[in-house]
Amino acid sequence: MNRHILKGWMLAAAGLALLAGCDKDKKDPDPEPEKKYKYVVQTSSNLSNAQRPGNIKVFDTFPSGNISTIDQSFQGMGMAGWRPYGNWLLKMFDSEAYEQGIERLKIGTGDIVEVESFLKADASAFGSGNFVIADETTGFYWDAATPLKIQKFNPTTLSRVSSGEIDLTAAVNERGADEAGIKYRSVGQKFLAVKKGKLFANITYAKTDGSQKGFWDDFYPDVYIAVIDIATGKYEKTTKIEGTGSIAYINDNPMYSFDTNGDLYIVCQGGDRDNLQAGALGGRSKIARIKANETDVDAAWSLNMDDIRSDGKSKFVSVFAKDGKLVVPVNNTALTGGPQGNINLTDIWEFHIADVNTKALTKITGIPAVTNPGGSYGSVEIDGKVYLRVSTADGSMNGYYELNGTAATRTFDVTEGGSIQGIYKIEVE
Amino acid sequence: MLLLRQFTGYFFLIVFSFFIPVTVSAQKTGVIRVVLKGERGEPLPQATVYLLNDSGDEARPVRLSDEDGKVDFAGLRDGSYVVLARHVGREEVKHQVMVGPASELLVELVLKNSAQQLSDLVVRGKSETREAMDQPIKAAIVNTREVGAQPVTLTELINRTAGVRIRQTGGLGSAPDVSVNGFQGRGIRYFKNGIPLDYLRDGYNISSVPVELLERVEVYKGVLPVGLGADALGGAVNLVTRTDVGSYLNLSYEVASFNTHRSSLSAVYTPEGRKWYAGADLFFNHSDNDYKAEVKVTDPETRNQYRARLRMFHNAFTSYYGDVFAGIRDTRWADELRLSLAGFSLTREQQHPALMTDPYGAITGGQSSVVPTLRYRKTFAGGRIAIDQFLVYNTVNIGRTDTLRGRYDWFGHVTYNPSQFGESRQPALSDVDFSNFTSRTNLSYKLNEAHKAELNYVITEAGRKGRDPYGPRFAGTDIDVLSVRTDYRKQVLGASLESRWLDGRLTNTLMGKHYYYASSGTDTWASRPIAESERITKKGNYWGIAEAIKFELNEHQFVRVSAEAANRLPQQDELFGDGIWVVPNFNLNPEKSTNLNAGYRWQRRKKASFEVNGFYRYTKGLILLIPIQPPYAQFTNMDNVKGYGVELDGAVHAGRFFIVNANVTYQDLRLFGITTPLDKWKNGSRLRNTPWFFTNVGVTGNFDKVFGEQDNLKIYFHYNFLKEYYLETIARRQEPGGFLGLFGSAKVNSDLLIPTQHLLNAGVSYSFRSGRATAGVEVKNLLDQDVFDYYRIQRAGRSIHLKMGISIK
Repeated sequence: MNRHILKGWMLAAAGLALLAGCDKDKKDPDPEPEKKYKYVVQTSSNLSNAQRPGNIKVFDTFPSGNISTIDQSFQGMGMAGWRPYGNWLLKMFDSEAYEQGIERLKIGTGDIVEVESFLKADASAFGSGNFVIADETTGFYWDAATPLKIQKFNPTTLSRVSSGEIDLTAAVNERGADEAGIKYRSVGQKFLAVKKGKLFANITYAKTDGSQKGFWDDFYPDVYIAVIDIATGKYEKTTKIEGTGSIAYINDNPMYSFDTNGDLYIVCQGGDRDNLQAGALGGRSKIARIKANETDVDAAWSLNMDDIRSDGKSKFVSVFAKDGKLVVPVNNTALTGGPQGNINLTDIWEFHIADVNTKALTKITGIPAVTNPGGSYGSVEIDGKVYLRVSTADGSMNGYYELNGTAATRTFDVTEGGSIQGIYKIEVE
Repeated sequence: MLLLRQFTGYFFLIVFSFFIPVTVSAQKTGVIRVVLKGERGEPLPQATVYLLNDSGDEARPVRLSDEDGKVDFAGLRDGSYVVLARHVGREEVKHQVMVGPASELLVELVLKNSAQQLSDLVVRGKSETREAMDQPIKAAIVNTREVGAQPVTLTELINRTAGVRIRQTGGLGSAPDVSVNGFQGRGIRYFKNGIPLDYLRDGYNISSVPVELLERVEVYKGVLPVGLGADALGGAVNLVTRTDVGSYLNLSYEVASFNTHRSSLSAVYTPEGRKWYAGADLFFNHSDNDYKAEVKVTDPETRNQYRARLRMFHNAFTSYYGDVFAGIRDTRWADELRLSLAGFSLTREQQHPALMTDPYGAITGGQSSVVPTLRYRKTFAGGRIAIDQFLVYNTVNIGRTDTLRGRYDWFGHVTYNPSQFGESRQPALSDVDFSNFTSRTNLSYKLNEAHKAELNYVITEAGRKGRDPYGPRFAGTDIDVLSVRTDYRKQVLGASLESRWLDGRLTNTLMGKHYYYASSGTDTWASRPIAESERITKKGNYWGIAEAIKFELNEHQFVRVSAEAANRLPQQDELFGDGIWVVPNFNLNPEKSTNLNAGYRWQRRKKASFEVNGFYRYTKGLILLIPIQPPYAQFTNMDNVKGYGVELDGAVHAGRFFIVNANVTYQDLRLFGITTPLDKWKNGSRLRNTPWFFTNVGVTGNFDKVFGEQDNLKIYFHYNFLKEYYLETIARRQEPGGFLGLFGSAKVNSDLLIPTQHLLNAGVSYSFRSGRATAGVEVKNLLDQDVFDYYRIQRAGRSIHLKMGISIK
């Protein structure tokens, strides 16, 4: 009897507990944590200093009106752009001493950005630390200490994976191995991209081995790109972009962009058109394409600057692709170099939209000519909107414009903190 | 507009200076005319003459006797005075006189030869130093004689001076940069006995010269005497070598931490009764500079970094300098003709690039030269006209080697890698000759007892030519850019009128200077192709004017005011670079500055002294060394700066044995005139990367006859405080708060600052037999603090130094 009574009580208790549990589930379901976002703005406070000191400031909403980046912000070096990935803010120069490598920043206490980690690269050449991220645990970078190899790293730990080194010496030596005029060789120094399981890395054949080696000193008039299978780490082939030079100057801005359909558009800055010499003042500059499901450069398509401007002193310096349209700045005056040159800090760069099918260019209205975005992205997409970086030489316009069709409207200006370099949206916990 | 106001100010100052004597000279009373002679009746020029009052204080500033052995003290009130005369190699003489109303006394003193000359030498040195301190043009005088027994460096001594801050990038031999009144870099010029020091490069500078070879160091703040023929903007450092006569031999040797060895020899032989002399100055410096510093070590596998305190392993410096000379004195056709043949050689290991980021283990640099010089001095017309001529022609060879195929880590381990060449971004095996010709002519004419005119002309011609098999080439050719000669010519002509009124109580100096320079060369570094046709020529003519007044309120106090409108031409190094890390900039323009200085000094001999000085400056186009593409830097016209500074300096004799001295410097130099919207926010912000508040406190115990009749023991402590300053510009509202912004830290989240620092040195020195033998021991950085002069370039921690010296007459 007692056993039956006991069983009855136990069944009743279990039933109550079940009911209580069911009731609790109904009233207090495990909620999806509310997502919070922050907008980070980067400025460079001294454009004449190549170490690019500057600030990063965090905003709760997309900025508007006139803003300052100097109060309650983070000050450091290497504030000339960044290369974000997902929720990570990544830079190719460390904030403490402008060392080359990969630095990851985070939003810390009080909404102040702070350095989270740093992966050091050799400092003996520009481009050292040029990187691309395939996924949260796989990334690749070029280190000047091993110029004919590509290094592998784990973006989550931001540490080099010592077993992942890809030796491309054989690929590099497929041409010009005995050519005395080639003073310096590297692979991945200026261009690293990941698409559909393949790693694309430019091969540099340079005519100089001094302080600027690898930049604007191409030996060949064509640009060579090695294709590597990421899963196996094996080199597969080399494809090339013909009749140009100076692929994708790096410095945070990789100068390539994936269209909505997966096509990859790559900037080549070219070189002297008439004498087929290397150089930074344009000529033969073009945007090339590797289609979404291809691994070869699309030989049938390119957007040529020489078709847009006939002076032979013009070039592409940035590209942003979306829905079959390319946003590109085009210089309105022939480029000049040297200390008094117009290439970097003169308002000669005008935003245009190019249709990838017709190659027709349409000038974007409502936006002034600007200075060269340099290492910064000229265009970014945030919250489904495209924003164009506007920084005039005198700083009277120094912020982002929102692109609508072929017109742009002003959103915010930085009046304290220096030249605008970037804006990005980060999800925070 | 402000410049106009400044010039208006000059005008009134000058007018004022000419009218004052008329109104005040009516107060004249008694006169003492002193005539000094030797035992044979010969006049004694250059003797030091004191006029002391009843209390033993100086009634008048110390004077030197003229060519006839004469000194006059006028304008004396009634009372009793003591005339005290000293001369090298002679016994001191004292003579008491009583001055009555309108009396004129003639005091003839005979100074006998002395068996003991050393103490007289010391006294004479002090008096010349004191003379320099009392000039109307403000100069901080560093008395190197007094510390000859101490293992102290010249940079440390100068750093203890109010308003002056020396910064170095490492240990012994690292390039020094003097900051005076906020001016720094090439705005400060260096001289040796009044001659611009460019021709000796790093072979002879304030970080390498032993203090015992110098009489004193003069640090001019603002206005420069016309005799320093240079275009310095904010000040100058003049190294004055010992001028002892007779025959002597001085030896010193210092051994210290970090395998530091420093030695010097100074010898002169003057035969008795002859007019010729010969001698030599030699010194040697070596330090491994292998002190510990906090660096960021890179893990070879993960390439992540961690901080570690490691010993420098490729940071040594070695230098040799020798100067043998001979000359004649006191002949009919020359007061002095001196021929000198100097030579130096130095090697410097380079441990890291501009910041302590990457370890280098094989990069070296070196300099060497043979330097013949000639100096001729003569006075005419009874001493009224004087000429001082200096000539030098030499070539300094500078080389840099960076050819390692591999990499070092911070532990000193090397990993060879044939695909790498050079540790820096620019491999090098450079061999560059910098030729130099300098002529300095100084003429002075004594118009009368009250006025002296001076003319100074310095011409410098310099060139550079060299080779580097791994250096840049002209576009499309194999022509080494260093093989194309670059040239630089500079001429500085200065004229001054020095006037003394009120029996020497009021001194006025009015100066004008004309500057000319021309340079041509090619831009050997640029992010673009280089062509030989791109040769650049720059030249310019500029004028400057300066005025300085000093007025003695009484025997204990004086005030002085000076003003100048100056230009500072781009220097050779700034235009051409150094062939290593500083790249050329041929687009530099001169800096222009208007500077005002005012000061007051009060002193009681052997009791206390107090001095306050202030300055105001208005500078446009300041030339700063700016990092460009790493690891290179370039001089650039950057900022407009204006502001003021105040420095207080005092010393108190505490009892019989102790002297406490202290100074504090505050500078408020700020950017102005920025009109571009992008940078307007920087108006009013502090000049970046410039120390603005620092203090020094020193305590010295001085004990005579401790163990013997002629010995002396000194115990000393020196403390230096430096307030944090900022590598990059921060807005004014972000600066620390409190009185003058001295409290707390800046309201920025940044590592880009040079932190607040405390440096304490302590030592003991002992001299035997009136200084014929000396020994000293000193502990530098006693608290073993991390010390920085520049952002992320750490200097040495605690170190122990032992120094010994011998002096033979």
